[in-house]
Amino acid sequence: MNNKRWAGLAQQTVYIGPALLFFAITIIIPFVMGMYYSFTDWNGVSGTVTWVGLDNFKRMFTNDDAFLTSFWFTTKFTIVGVILTNLVGFFLAYFLTKNIKMRNWLRTVFFMPNVIGGLLLGFIWQFIFIKGFATVGEATGIPFFQLPWLGDETTGFWGIIMVFVWQSSGYLMVIYIASITNVSKEVLEAAEIDGASRFQVLRSIIVPLIMPAVTVCLFLAISWSFKMFDLNLSLTKGGPYRSTESLAMNVYDEAFVKNRYGLGTAKSLVFFLVVAAITLVQVRLTKKREVEA
Amino acid sequence: MKNFRLTLALLLVCSMFLSACGSSGGSEGENGNAASGEKKKVTVFQFKTEIVDGLNELKVEFEKEYPDIQLDIQTVGGGADYGAALKTKFASNDAPDIFSNGGDAEMEMWLDHLEDLSDQPWVDDLLELTKEPMTKDGKVYGMPMNLEGWGYIYNKDLFEQAGITELPKTYSELEAAAKKLQEAGITAFANAYQEWWLLGTQGVNPAFAQQPDPNAFIQGLNEGTEKITGNEKFEEWARLLQLTLDYGNKNPLTTDYNTAISLLATEKAAMMQNGNWAQTEIDAINPDLNLGYLPMAMGDNAEENDKLNVGVPANLVINKNSDVKEEAKTFLNWLVTSDMGKEYIVQKFKFIPAVTTIDAKPEDMGDLGAAVWEYVQAEKVLGRQSAKFPDGAGQEFAGAIQAYLAGKSDTNKMLEDMQATWDNLKK
Repeated sequence: MNNKRWAGLAQQTVYIGPALLFFAITIIIPFVMGMYYSFTDWNGVSGTVTWVGLDNFKRMFTNDDAFLTSFWFTTKFTIVGVILTNLVGFFLAYFLTKNIKMRNWLRTVFFMPNVIGGLLLGFIWQFIFIKGFATVGEATGIPFFQLPWLGDETTGFWGIIMVFVWQSSGYLMVIYIASITNVSKEVLEAAEIDGASRFQVLRSIIVPLIMPAVTVCLFLAISWSFKMFDLNLSLTKGGPYRSTESLAMNVYDEAFVKNRYGLGTAKSLVFFLVVAAITLVQVRLTKKREVEA
Repeated sequence: MKNFRLTLALLLVCSMFLSACGSSGGSEGENGNAASGEKKKVTVFQFKTEIVDGLNELKVEFEKEYPDIQLDIQTVGGGADYGAALKTKFASNDAPDIFSNGGDAEMEMWLDHLEDLSDQPWVDDLLELTKEPMTKDGKVYGMPMNLEGWGYIYNKDLFEQAGITELPKTYSELEAAAKKLQEAGITAFANAYQEWWLLGTQGVNPAFAQQPDPNAFIQGLNEGTEKITGNEKFEEWARLLQLTLDYGNKNPLTTDYNTAISLLATEKAAMMQNGNWAQTEIDAINPDLNLGYLPMAMGDNAEENDKLNVGVPANLVINKNSDVKEEAKTFLNWLVTSDMGKEYIVQKFKFIPAVTTIDAKPEDMGDLGAAVWEYVQAEKVLGRQSAKFPDGAGQEFAGAIQAYLAGKSDTNKMLEDMQATWDNLKK
């Protein structure tokens, strides 16, 4: 018995040990170190690190408008981003599980933006927004294209949203597709025979049956949009006049531009707690709504 | 479904292949080290992307002369990214032996790591103006790479076309000139106001540098005895910004540096706030332009205004704890004293040298460089102040200025924002 236990333990060490080790080195240890630095005034370079207690946390909530502004921006962005990416992802999946010509090809096309890195996408879209839209606007006179894209708060916000949705909905689409194709044909057929309309089938059968996918997709979309950094950096760099600065960017800015590493890590700790809390609540809520067929 | 998966798999493979390409640069470097054996390796970490090719050629020449030293030149471009990358290198025990430093506040920050270079032979040859940012308690900690000057670059032919005969030296004259240009159907200013550095460090410079004593003013700001708000120079500077906006291109806040350069180079705009570093970029589009400098005129005192902003953009410093300090010093010394090094500095890098022993000929430096050199020789310069700002203040200033340009705030509000930035970020 004892021998068997040892063998089991050895096996676990061999299989899980390496992964655990790397996880510890790349995630856990830096995280703990970050926690320590959040209580100091370290500037990221100097040898002297002074313990300042809770000063950093006090400062970010009482004396840092930019942090609160970026918090608000990120919240707005998350709400709009999560709803849009999931709606678009779901409906793409819904239509691409029907019998459409070029179905596979279209799936690949919609997934493609996800394969290209966010930074690259951002720069391409920046060009489209600033040069492409302006040219189209001049040629056609459509007011939508004549807006100062990325040049003020509103167009900056919606510009990032557009690229974000374009980039992420493809990924969510793949998850929804997998889930929708798993909905059993019998149930759908039965509903059809009973005379359910398409909308009724969608609302009362498909959606409840794919709730596990919804849980996953909401979780992904929330954490992606909260942590969004690359699009922000490449599209607007937080500008103009810092009106489109995401939380992640604010943290980066604090630690590496203003050289207040301690304050930066403190912010990122708060950031982590907020994202963790929101996603936990969300997963719990949506899990409750999952049903068995 | 099968087909879909196949395409997906192919895409993934492609993306992996692409990322593998991206990282191959790094592994090449490592192979190089392995082959070199007992050679001493000096790592240089710098951010001037425009001189990478020249540096690599120079590396070959240097290694020919000093076979037992091997140079490893690494470049990460763009201000903030460079700083972050450098910090990462130090944090991961991969500190370079030579790296760049902006001087003043940045020197203070890295002081723990800097080798005192006061005894180096080239120190005595430095132009006085270039020494200051890297000097602390009488010790010199870095070698200035070059001089750069900025103001309004203007197109002489377009000015002539608009009938401007006298060069504007004051605000009123500049306004009159802009009006004439507009009447002639020419956009007066190409404004790349999307770029934070163009506004927050370079654009704002005259307002700081035209204070009676800029250093005392900045010290006063740090101690709370001076204020940006209500300061006459800053108000004049805000007026100048407004002027460039009124007679400038459309959507200045989404116009980036390259776009503004091409506006200037294709003769769609007559002026742009920029420096001599832009020469190669402008030449690439249109080498036949007839360009010159105008000072950034604030207020109506012609004498006070007829000055160009000049400064050292970067200094090379040596890591105090490096094992190959001596070799690193050898390289720096070679760079500014050997014929080969001198030649590269003026001819390949197109630098305005910071060392008096290097001859700078106008034909090497281009129109703009030569014009800056003239201002330097005549001592009509405004020093570069941005390195004395608290860390990150330049970016914040840019935010406040952009809000002003977008009509979200007025002069008072902008100056209040800038004052608040300073108070918040000062040590």
